[in-house]
Amino acid sequence: MEKLLGVITANYSTKYPSVLSETRPVASLPYLGRYRVVDFALSNMVNAGIRTVGMIMPYNYRSLIDHIGSGRDWDLNRKKGGLFILPGSAFGTSRTGSRFLLRDLEYNKVFLKRSDAEHVILSSASFVYNMDYDKLIEAHKASGADITVVTQPAKGKDADVTGLSVDGTRVHGIKHGVERGEVSFLDCFVIGREFLLQLLNWYEQTDYLDLFEAMAADYERVNVQTYDFEGYVAPIFNKDNYFKSNMDMLDPKISAELFPAGRTIKTKAHDNAPAKFETGSRVSNSRVSGSCRIKGTVSNSILGRNVVVETGAIVNNSIVMQSCVIKTGARVENAIVDRDNVVPAGTELKGTPEAPFIKEKASVE
Amino acid sequence: MSKRECIAMLLAGGQGSRLGVLTKEVAKPAVSFGGKYRIIDFALSNCANSGIDTVGVLTQYRPYLLHNYLGSGSAWNLDESEGGLFILPPYATQTGGAWYAGTADAVTQNLGFIKQNDPEYVLILSGDQLYNMDYQKMLDNHKRHNADLTIAVMPVPWEEASRFGILTTDEDEKILKFTEKPAEPDSNLASMGIYIFNADLLVKTLEEDAEDENSEHDFGKDIIPKLLAAGKRLYTYEYNGFWRDVGTIASYHETSMDLLGTKPDFDLFDTEAPIMSNAGAMPPAYVGPDATVDDCLVGNGSSIYGKAVHSIVSTGAVVGEGAVVQDSVLLPGSEVKAGAHVVRAILGENSVVEAEATLGSSDQSVDIAVIGNDAVVAKEAE
Repeated sequence: MEKLLGVITANYSTKYPSVLSETRPVASLPYLGRYRVVDFALSNMVNAGIRTVGMIMPYNYRSLIDHIGSGRDWDLNRKKGGLFILPGSAFGTSRTGSRFLLRDLEYNKVFLKRSDAEHVILSSASFVYNMDYDKLIEAHKASGADITVVTQPAKGKDADVTGLSVDGTRVHGIKHGVERGEVSFLDCFVIGREFLLQLLNWYEQTDYLDLFEAMAADYERVNVQTYDFEGYVAPIFNKDNYFKSNMDMLDPKISAELFPAGRTIKTKAHDNAPAKFETGSRVSNSRVSGSCRIKGTVSNSILGRNVVVETGAIVNNSIVMQSCVIKTGARVENAIVDRDNVVPAGTELKGTPEAPFIKEKASVE
Repeated sequence: MSKRECIAMLLAGGQGSRLGVLTKEVAKPAVSFGGKYRIIDFALSNCANSGIDTVGVLTQYRPYLLHNYLGSGSAWNLDESEGGLFILPPYATQTGGAWYAGTADAVTQNLGFIKQNDPEYVLILSGDQLYNMDYQKMLDNHKRHNADLTIAVMPVPWEEASRFGILTTDEDEKILKFTEKPAEPDSNLASMGIYIFNADLLVKTLEEDAEDENSEHDFGKDIIPKLLAAGKRLYTYEYNGFWRDVGTIASYHETSMDLLGTKPDFDLFDTEAPIMSNAGAMPPAYVGPDATVDDCLVGNGSSIYGKAVHSIVSTGAVVGEGAVVQDSVLLPGSEVKAGAHVVRAILGENSVVEAEATLGSSDQSVDIAVIGNDAVVAKEAE
């Protein structure tokens, strides 16, 4: 098996301080009821046989450490290799651009040096997709590129996704934001380990830059090739694409792309009971997590673990995160309700389909 | 509970032959139950929740799935560096070795394990019972009585008492008499097959019993009567919660149905003493646009497009469009295809009921329909 090293830059927030990510990095944002965004990058690596993964931590790491623990749920609690918690920058991590600040890599040169892996796969934890990295490695080796970046044609305008200017499959530069049809950079690339260390030496003086920005003058001598990923991709950069990408999972055809048999997205295990649908509940086109108890009406929604929907309560077109209680007669519509909220009887949380209402995380008493 | 004060020996070698096709390929403790669990989860979780961190699991019948499922014990927080979960299968010796010939014999063959751990007390458990018990309370009771052996009992209806091993006690819970299936019971306290022994006495008694050619090497039949006859201090510990030994298809089905309803007899949602399991990560259940789900437990990774009423839809099970599932248990990965009709049935793991096929009968006088793991029910020819 190819010896690979993984690095996840989990220290990024969004440049929009939405209540959802005020207290968390994007990496630990809940996704589809039971997952966190970081699960996708981590599982992609583990599913490709990578057993040494360095995770560059955000300054507000509590929720992320809580989630990943020793890495056991991803088979990364190992004698040799395993999960390495690496220090990361606190500043510059909500900027636009790709998510590979040189100083983060510079800080952690020792981790790269101590490895004997031939290649390193680096990924941010800001996208949701399930990808077979073996194919990426094959393409990288076949093309003889110095760096192979994972890309996809942009489906629409997105100011937060990094764009690449290309000539065929050869990358000539990066830009902030993409227009429909342009090449989106999915914040993931493979590079020879020794070459990465060499690049870090080249750019030592400009370590406040992102790796792909720092290379601006060097794209003619560094062979950067694109590798198009064809599966489902969701960038998680703002509340709109966060909401949409969750709702996409109500289409079984799309969710089958993200959760194919044989490439499990692993996550922290909890001892939740199965969900309980009581007599009188009405649930349609929804995702319901473990330990939920439903007596009311739920449609077009995603419920996190341990959510209670009481008799006569209505939840429509919403994301309700773990341990919320929607009391009798309450109504939640076009909303994102962060964890631990109790929506009192008879009250209403209502947004529009275009602009979901966000109820922040309830504070811990 | 301090370290090594008490270790558990969990008897998990039984076939559960009356469960028919459900135990054709797996031991009874490994049979799926309750939407996401396997039967052994309950005893293992009780151990973990009671602070017992050293558990020997004695396996024998079709152990592959069971061993695979137990793994390192980490799912039950039993991957301890000093203690933890130990799988104890029958083994070969210089003189040949033997299968476990009875409940007591299974423990006798693993006295080495007990001696090595050198506990004060040994808790003997069965891996095929469903209940939520704090063994610490039972141990406290054992110590309070300064007992040699404590047997967990539960009151059963008097008219059913003659089906059980019945213990007659004095006012202070001291056991006066043990009668296996008495015709005319003078007590309704049934043995649950859960014992706490003083370790020294257990070792000595089992070593003696091993030499006894007339013994069947069974705790109920041999060990308890011997200790009673020897005048040892035997006490009961009364338990009044939910407890089932799902011995038959009918009782498996009935116990599954007991998990449903507004106030179920057995609360899987207990957060103080959660039932832990070694479940894989699957996405939340999906309920389709035209689905009806009424009084059901629904596991992760399942999809319901049709109608599910008063049923258990386990991890990864599928109810197709227009299909109807009622009063049934769909074990993990089973699929009821479009337009099929399943009533009062148990579907084995990864089994399939083909489109438009039917299985089971709503007629209460007809036995519960059951199909084994990977079985396929085709549509009957017109």
